[in-house]
Amino acid sequence: MALLDFQTSLAGLVRASNGSDPSRRVSLTDDERRYLSDLAGNAAFRFTVKVQRSWCAGRAAKAAYLTLSILPGEVRDQLLEEWVNSGGGTHSFVGRESSAFLEFIASHLVEPSHELTICRMELAALRSSEGSLRFKRPESSRIHRPDGLLRRGPYASVVHFYAEPERVLNALVRREPCPAISSDITTLIFGPGFDRLYTRATSSELALYDRLVSPAAALELSGEGFARETMQRLLDGGALEYWNKRSQAKYPLAT
Amino acid sequence: MSGSGARPTSAVPQLGIGLPYFASLPAELYQSRVMDFVEITPETICRQRPTETAIELDIVPQQMERARSTCAGLPMVVHGVELSIGSAHDWNTAYLEMLDAFQEAWPFVWHSEHLGFQTFRGTDGSTQEVGVPLPLPPTMEAADLVARRSAMILQRYGVPFLLENPAYYLPDAPSDPEIGDDIGLMRRILERSGSLQLLDLHNVYCNAINHHFDPFEAVDRMPLDAVAEIHIAGGSWDGGFWMDAHDGRVPEPVWDMLEYTLPRCPSVGGIVFEMLDEHVQKLGVDAIQQELTRARKIWMNRAQGDSYGVTRLSDFTRRVSTCL
Repeated sequence: MALLDFQTSLAGLVRASNGSDPSRRVSLTDDERRYLSDLAGNAAFRFTVKVQRSWCAGRAAKAAYLTLSILPGEVRDQLLEEWVNSGGGTHSFVGRESSAFLEFIASHLVEPSHELTICRMELAALRSSEGSLRFKRPESSRIHRPDGLLRRGPYASVVHFYAEPERVLNALVRREPCPAISSDITTLIFGPGFDRLYTRATSSELALYDRLVSPAAALELSGEGFARETMQRLLDGGALEYWNKRSQAKYPLAT
Repeated sequence: MSGSGARPTSAVPQLGIGLPYFASLPAELYQSRVMDFVEITPETICRQRPTETAIELDIVPQQMERARSTCAGLPMVVHGVELSIGSAHDWNTAYLEMLDAFQEAWPFVWHSEHLGFQTFRGTDGSTQEVGVPLPLPPTMEAADLVARRSAMILQRYGVPFLLENPAYYLPDAPSDPEIGDDIGLMRRILERSGSLQLLDLHNVYCNAINHHFDPFEAVDRMPLDAVAEIHIAGGSWDGGFWMDAHDGRVPEPVWDMLEYTLPRCPSVGGIVFEMLDEHVQKLGVDAIQQELTRARKIWMNRAQGDSYGVTRLSDFTRRVSTCL
């Protein structure tokens, strides 16, 4: 198993640059230990680390393009540097990198703010897009079954806008100042089955989505006053899905 | 697994000159007579999809349709980047499953991967990505691991499978005496698996500059009878190292290397001029056509062998210095 330990040690050194202690890996030969220990002072190793950092920063910048473009330059650079230094930017597929980096950015932004809204929108669009390739509109008849349980769709999310969405997005595209934060909130629901992957949520759709923080029977929801048409619309858009108790969550449920 | 060293060289068709597929390039370029085949990296038309237990790769049908329509019936070869064939803990099975579906939808003449690793087992046991491909140590364990996997791939897809020699900046890792160096590693893998080599001449050029050796001597030591495809590309200087950046035209010394190497590879099926997507627009269609035309001229003259009279290290050093 020397190769396994050698690769773990070498990759760890490149990712961390300051490195783990390779000598802790028991199956390394003396030559391998010496090689790994000597790397820190080697120009070629430092260049490899520089290339790795550069690739990681490039991937991350591409992965959160929209959100980064709304942030001031110094904030953008700081977030990118912090992300790469913490081991981010290594995912070769933009989707996976986007998801992780956007979550990281969101944790650094103020609520409410247009920046956080754009970040959540980029993440929501990504998730819906990921689900759209295999999304199949569910059978409408299932909703009438007594055992029909509903839950939030694995690729669905809601995004709150604190100004008219078009105004915020136009300001972003034209690189103009965003409108003031308003108490008049517009909510978009994202799901893989919606046209353009989202719909402007009605109050009843939003109430139903909020209600389904845990699965519930369609019959029970009807009893609480939710209309079948509302359930059906969200099912068709992939914001909700039928839930079989025996199956596990396919993806962390969106909040 | 073949232990005899026999290789399916007769199975490599003579395709000619190829170019990677880029959605950003005009379709007319692919439909012109400037190239004979196209090389596609399937991951570029895929999306990752998290499932209950793993990350799967889905081909995006619209993107595949667009690629097929652009390439308009050209023979196609696959050049993968995500398999991580040399990772000791595991390789990327999602890539193989995607490639199964890809082959069914769009059969490829041959396919290739990079000899190296880009994933490793993290301290928590999970698969982690390095963020940059790293070379394998020239050891028996590494050779046997990749040979075993290459043989499985050959059987799975039924078409030639090629391994590309990598560019690397790290100093040479400790080796087993039976293997020696990266050339010995490639040789042993090919002999034991029946797979073939994708000889990336720009990678050899990078390594020769950064590690101070004679690239022609390195080429002479390679298993040239097993070379099925050749890559040429451009690069640039950064921090005192020549980078395998794929950001421009092919340097003159790499053209020299191509003229020297091509007649020595009896089974080669094609030459591909590589670029990275982000540099395609800067390079431009005219420059791409010129590189392909120049490659074709060398391809057409390949039977002349040593008549090119390419000189060795002293001339190489001189030509590198003119590129600085």
